[in-house]
Amino acid sequence: MSRRSPYLRILGICWRASISSEMEYRLNFLSSAAVSIFWMVWAAVGVSVYFRFTGQVAGWSYPELLVVIGLFFTVNGLRQAIFEPNLERIGEYVRRGTLDMLLTKPVDAQLLVSFRYLGIGNVMDPLLGLVVTGVGLALSGRGLSVGALPPFALLFAAAIALLYALTLALMALAVVLVGAEELGSVSFAVVELARFPVQLYRNPVQSVLTVLPIAFLTTFPAQALLGRLNPVLLLVAPAVAAGSVALATLTWRRSLRSYSGASA
Amino acid sequence: MNDTLTAYSGLLRSSTQVALTYRGRIVLWFVSGLFPLLLMAVWLTVSAESGPPAGWTSADFISYYAAAALLWNLSGQHVVWEWDADMRSGDLSVRLLRPIHPFHQYTASDLGHRAVSLMMLLPVLVLAALLVPGINYPLGVFDAVAVLAAVVLAYLVSLVMASTFAIVGFWSTQAANLWMLWWGIGSFASGWVAPLDLMPPWLRNAALVLPFRATIGFPVELMIGHLDIRATLVGFAVGLAWLAVFSGLYVCLWRRGLRRYQAVAG
Repeated sequence: MSRRSPYLRILGICWRASISSEMEYRLNFLSSAAVSIFWMVWAAVGVSVYFRFTGQVAGWSYPELLVVIGLFFTVNGLRQAIFEPNLERIGEYVRRGTLDMLLTKPVDAQLLVSFRYLGIGNVMDPLLGLVVTGVGLALSGRGLSVGALPPFALLFAAAIALLYALTLALMALAVVLVGAEELGSVSFAVVELARFPVQLYRNPVQSVLTVLPIAFLTTFPAQALLGRLNPVLLLVAPAVAAGSVALATLTWRRSLRSYSGASA
Repeated sequence: MNDTLTAYSGLLRSSTQVALTYRGRIVLWFVSGLFPLLLMAVWLTVSAESGPPAGWTSADFISYYAAAALLWNLSGQHVVWEWDADMRSGDLSVRLLRPIHPFHQYTASDLGHRAVSLMMLLPVLVLAALLVPGINYPLGVFDAVAVLAAVVLAYLVSLVMASTFAIVGFWSTQAANLWMLWWGIGSFASGWVAPLDLMPPWLRNAALVLPFRATIGFPVELMIGHLDIRATLVGFAVGLAWLAVFSGLYVCLWRRGLRRYQAVAG
């Protein structure tokens, strides 16, 4: 407890600073909330075109697909709020030598580099996404069963952990490559692939996305909500997530060992 | 006029260099070009499961989306973000001091980026057309000329339409968001969300007279040989009409906006 609390306090200070600096642009905040709603409706109406020709695509009905699309916005919104603002700064840290300074601070550099900044421009996305997921669940005729919540929470946490592992691995890569701006688009593309359940793609793409593990981001959590999750995944998903985070942390530490500082 | 043309060749050369330097941004465009391929993959599943929707075979979908990806990379709408950034930072003032109109500066810079995209995309598309069974662009010499003209028209319509929205930035900081809303609504009528053949009839009919189809759907449908001579002529006529409308709007807004901008800066 006494070891953890300073970290939480530092995070609290950093995030409060981020929020108050973003709140200066109130009109921007409001308009980006409007834009969030717009893109959500856009996505929901857009996929309805498929269902003009069929009742189900690869076993997913339209309301069930909405569950996944809602989760996509939730995961993507969290990516934009927590991971992207930090990932897009790592190149600058390395180029301008800020990383040297961060490394000398008496706090774990991984914590500062990963979570220093918080973006609230898309803070509506996760909330609205959950609303769309709820609407999808209601329309699918299944409703929300209380029993489905714990497995969903577990798989959703695994999804976010996987996304963190990806972000950290990309940061490690940025340290080695010295500022590669295109790395942010890798994380964007990975999440974009999770817009639809993986079953909507045919093999071999589907198998690749399951292994990669895109399916863990939205497909499996949605299946947990809909009560048709393969129970094995309750063990596999946390294992994959924990393994990925551990691997990414190792990669990050290795990259720091190869880092010689900007002043050198 | 001649001076502008001379300036274009210089600006084009420099912007091509810039585009080649910042390869990261090209990667970003490629990634955003991924989106239509996702839509295509779902259509392929629909087509395999419940038969070709509205008669569209998987070969049709692949041909359509490969061409749509090309058109997306060749569209002129990217200038919106440059305008927006410069209006916010005040760099527009510097551009106004230069002897050629900012519109041409942004366009020349954008054309350089398009040229680099084309250099990278065209070989991929040609290879795909030769290797992937089913991709088929049944084009004679006359059709090829028509397609080329339609692609140029698509670039011009998207360029002038986006520039018109960019000018709104003289009045509002939300110009780029406004453009996104316009583009997002238009994407249902442009052939971006789905080929217009697969849309409900009312939307298909509306799309025939709206400006959006000229930017993606029309040239792509022409490429895959889905348009007869009459539909082709209608497509060109509608595209040209909208090009005229937005050019007029652009000029009008520019004059008024510039006066405002001076007032703010002065």
